[in-house]
Amino acid sequence: MKILNVYRSEPDDTVKKLVEIVTRDREVDSFNLMDPNPDYDLLVDKIFDADQTICWW
Amino acid sequence: MEYKKVTFMYRNKDYAVDGIRSALGLAVENMYSYGVVMDTEIEQLDEHNQESIEMLRDMEGEIYSTVPANVDKNGFEAITIEELGEKLRDMSIIIPYGLK
Amino acid sequence: MAKSLGIFVTNPDNFAHVMGITKAAKAKGSKVKVFFTWTATHNAKDPAFPELCELADDVSICVDSYKKQGYAVDDVPKGLSPKEMATQAQHGIIIEDYDCYISL
Repeated sequence: MKILNVYRSEPDDTVKKLVEIVTRDREVDSFNLMDPNPDYDLLVDKIFDADQTICWW
Repeated sequence: MEYKKVTFMYRNKDYAVDGIRSALGLAVENMYSYGVVMDTEIEQLDEHNQESIEMLRDMEGEIYSTVPANVDKNGFEAITIEELGEKLRDMSIIIPYGLK
Repeated sequence: MAKSLGIFVTNPDNFAHVMGITKAAKAKGSKVKVFFTWTATHNAKDPAFPELCELADDVSICVDSYKKQGYAVDDVPKGLSPKEMATQAQHGIIIEDYDCYISL
């Protein structure tokens, strides 16, 4: 199971804790949507490659 | 057929009630649907919204909260962040809903 | 063949991301469905919203949310038809019928 974590803001302690538990013993990738010019092409590739995408606040 | 499991998480009180409505919307589509009110204390729900939650429960869904005041006021199930994390591992879809 | 992608929009500040992701997914030959709910229904009044409706295969909004955000139900946003002023069932379709899912 591969999880993609997408971040819209800097993860706080609650999000970090949830990510830690959800991704335990699983393959994990991430994408930063905070960038002023996100590479949407890369993001879509990552979404297609993952089994589940979680877009955190 | 395996039914989808979905959890919505609400951290902003202006998004919780509508987010609960979205959770109910998936329960009626034959999904296991759960909501979690985190970090924020919400007002006492009116009768209409309480009925929506009862409908959600009838369809094996639930509304949880990490905030004791919400558990006391609105009858949500208490949950810790650790318990929520474990529950999320079992979900098909995880939705951090609305604004933080 | 490219996977299909469903986008569930709950945050009104993410419209640029909705556009960016939809454009990128369509460029890869993906089928894209977008559903807006609650305050994100304000995005239906964004000047770029009709362009999104052209780009994506299916765009709809929660009509109940739209009404609660202060709009008249017969004020159908440019790019949508009245039947695309819909219910949360659209979210269910995204989850059941599309290969990939992202909430924004």
